[in-house]
Amino acid sequence: MAAVLAYAWARARAHRGRQLLALLGVIAAAAMVGASVTIAATLSGGFDRTAQRAGLPDVLATFAPLQRGRVAHVVSQLANVRSASYVLQEPGVHVNSGNDYEGHAKLFGVGPGRHGYAVVAGHDIDGPGQAVVEAGFARAWRLHVGEQIGVQFDRGEELRIVGIAVPPDTVAFPLTNGPRVYADYEDARRIDGAAPGVVNGVDLWLADPRLIDVTLAQARSASFGVAGLQLVTRTGLKLLIGQAAGIVIAVVVAFSLIALLVACVMLSAAAAAEVQRRLTSIGLLRAIGVSARTVVAAAAVEATALALPAATLGVLVGWLAVQGSADRLLASLNELPPGSSLALLLVASILGLTLLVVAATCWPSWRATRRPPVEVLRGGDVGHTARRLPLPPAFPLLGIRLVLARPARAAATIAVVGFAVSVVLAILAIATVLENLNKQPLSVGKRYQLLVDAPPSQLRKVTELPQVAAATPFYSLDVADSFALDEPFTLDAFGAPPPAYETPPLVSGHLAHSPDEAEVGVGLAEALGLHPGAVLAAQLPNGREVRYRVAGIVQALEDQGRIAYVETPHLLAAEPELGGQIAVKLRPGASAAAVTQALARTGAVTTSSGGIAGQSVQGWASRSSGFIGILVALLRTVAVLDVCVCLYAVGQALALTSQERRRTLAVVRAQGAGRLHLFAVFGVASAFLVALAWGLAALLERWAVAPGVAHLAASYVVLALSAGGQLLALTLAGLLLGAALVSVVLVRSIARQPVVVGLRQD
Amino acid sequence: MRVIARGRGLVRTFGSGRAALTVLDGVDLELRAGELVAVVGRSGSGKSTLLHLLGGLDRPDEGTIELDGVRLERAGEGELARLRREKIGFVFQAFHLLPELSGVENVLLPARITRDRAALRRGRELVEQLGLDGAGARLPVVLSGGEQQRLAIARALVNDPLLVLADEPTGNLDPESGANVVELLQRVAESGKAVLVVTHEANVVERADRILRLERGKLS
Repeated sequence: MAAVLAYAWARARAHRGRQLLALLGVIAAAAMVGASVTIAATLSGGFDRTAQRAGLPDVLATFAPLQRGRVAHVVSQLANVRSASYVLQEPGVHVNSGNDYEGHAKLFGVGPGRHGYAVVAGHDIDGPGQAVVEAGFARAWRLHVGEQIGVQFDRGEELRIVGIAVPPDTVAFPLTNGPRVYADYEDARRIDGAAPGVVNGVDLWLADPRLIDVTLAQARSASFGVAGLQLVTRTGLKLLIGQAAGIVIAVVVAFSLIALLVACVMLSAAAAAEVQRRLTSIGLLRAIGVSARTVVAAAAVEATALALPAATLGVLVGWLAVQGSADRLLASLNELPPGSSLALLLVASILGLTLLVVAATCWPSWRATRRPPVEVLRGGDVGHTARRLPLPPAFPLLGIRLVLARPARAAATIAVVGFAVSVVLAILAIATVLENLNKQPLSVGKRYQLLVDAPPSQLRKVTELPQVAAATPFYSLDVADSFALDEPFTLDAFGAPPPAYETPPLVSGHLAHSPDEAEVGVGLAEALGLHPGAVLAAQLPNGREVRYRVAGIVQALEDQGRIAYVETPHLLAAEPELGGQIAVKLRPGASAAAVTQALARTGAVTTSSGGIAGQSVQGWASRSSGFIGILVALLRTVAVLDVCVCLYAVGQALALTSQERRRTLAVVRAQGAGRLHLFAVFGVASAFLVALAWGLAALLERWAVAPGVAHLAASYVVLALSAGGQLLALTLAGLLLGAALVSVVLVRSIARQPVVVGLRQD
Repeated sequence: MRVIARGRGLVRTFGSGRAALTVLDGVDLELRAGELVAVVGRSGSGKSTLLHLLGGLDRPDEGTIELDGVRLERAGEGELARLRREKIGFVFQAFHLLPELSGVENVLLPARITRDRAALRRGRELVEQLGLDGAGARLPVVLSGGEQQRLAIARALVNDPLLVLADEPTGNLDPESGANVVELLQRVAESGKAVLVVTHEANVVERADRILRLERGKLS
């Protein structure tokens, strides 16, 4: 064993360049893994992590101001409540510090006990004259613990900042309209001008959160007569905040995992290729009597010695590349970073990668030891497998012949690179979509792109426009629940089953498919205690009532989910004079601007279908170019790392070919081929591989990856993710440039070796 | 006759320290146009090394090599590649035909590197002259050793080199095929080229204009 390891060490020293290449490959793949794991671990579970640390209440109730004693009486009637915290909230408070001023701050007067936020600097409020400010606000205004902040509403007071906190029930300032300031209840009451003992919110922590439905039903019943009661649950908040980054985070995480898979495939291929190079020496070791177990063990030790430091370095590089952006993104969502759990995951990634390389090295080594030594000694000789290819005789095409001498390897390389590039294309397509968000808002949960301000009688005219795929009458009106008239909500009605035009993700039940059924947003379902099968009775502005059976509960973002989607017949029967619009679906690739212009010529005014902007948290988030910028940077970092690994795979395939065909190359050099000629050979070969992989990638992206991602996204948005011509051309150009660089590096290493070295390989 | 190649005081050592092995230790030689020179010696005596140095495939540790007035030991890799393209033809013991190319394509390979139309024409004529029409259309793997070596010689001559270097060209051939190859090399020499053959085959030595013996790193 020692002798075999000594031989391995000597070989590594003799082939430093090759070792360096292998090292760089592992580093590149590990960087991709590090970045992927960092993104996935940081972004997924951020809400739960922060809610746990902050001790977020299970139920947050707000209502018109009441004496605390009255509220405490209601709370005492609820069986499942473990503890409660009473709050006085006042939006529209003026705050100032130095030259900074903000007129839409939200002041929270809190008492002793838990407050549902995580203090990340300083300490919580423990007396009068103190304030805790939210972290986003502190960042934006550069506020520190110990500084003073002026707070004014009915009267003004100077409070000393004693802590900085992350409240997970909202996104951070400046994504929100106003920053949050927490103060002692009595301070807040004085500033607000409220009567002593008055509160307008209560946070409830339940003994058994699984029974939250029962508690909410009890709360509604016990709160009879309480004005303006709104109940928000931790689950509802998670849906709302979790969707703040919406599809984007889900897609970033999904792509990170795909990138992880690609990196693993590439590492395996590279390790197997390295063993292929060493077949002759394995055959030799077997021929002189070294046992198969020793050969495999030595391969494992050698692979570990290479992979462990490279994987460590690569994972660190990947972590460094994306950690800053990911943390900034989390901070903007008021979510805490994963802390030591990420470190554990990164260590696990390093070990996993090392094991992968070791396994990918040991497996072909073991297989090689199973073959007769004389066969293994022939190594990479391809002379007997050569085949005639119908290619023009031009010298540079020799590269393609050399690559295709190993058709299975060439196909595997093209497949792996093609798959990886299709992911790159999809990532870049998403990044482009995101960049255009501010200009062309995505339609959240909507399958129609335009709303035409024209009476439904004009439907036929609209449908006949060439770029219109379908259109239907659309009515939207404010109604109230017949059983609780102080619970207003929006009723959206379509001339077709709602799922054809609205597709928010389904939480429970099924989508509405008949005129008697309704899909109800989570916010409305929570407010009215609705569930699939329940009756939704809507009081129309004219006093009439329409009733629907609740088919399903959906994660609608509009109006905080206080919305229901139905078909038109019952609504029009109750309100025949209802004025409506026309919802328009465009054909794929159609220009919304062109259709808008065509409609404008007929006198119809067109608006977008609402888009990502609106009242939702996602709207606040998406309006922030900083937020989008971070996500785009994350996506592009993953794409660049993915491209690096692609190019490494191409380089590895070519390096292996050049290694196997060193005698052929030596003969060609003996005939007078210089560096430029070799560059032509390998440049054409790499361009050939890359071009085929790119073609495959374009097909995969169009027919598999993009539809797959769009399907994944369909619960949130209707995405047109197919990479455009410009993006395809840009990707091809980048890949060809990278392939040319790979060829230059390879040719340099070939030309550095004397011709005779290759000729001796008989 | 005109001197095509000249080596002076050539030294080539492999390894270093106590493991150093000097295979050429001050070799002097001249190759003239129109002569067939055979270099003989035991295995490992440095015959192939000498051929590689003269062909610009390797560099001497000491000494000078001049090919058609150009000093090889001073030339860069690009210049050496040009000289190999334009002035040198190689014939190898193992033929070294590229397995993916047909016989003709192998012969024309140097011409395709230089993109020389005249050389392409010359290559096709050579294939015809050597009676390799049938073999030229097939892949090397299905050709006999004699056919492969004749194609390899044709490839060495395509760019009309001044110097042809052959490393044991009959080593892998049966006596009859070997005789044909020697005759071919003799014709090449008679056409005005300098031909250096490394061999230990008696039938080659018999036909050589000059015989050089390499022993203990020196030519005699």
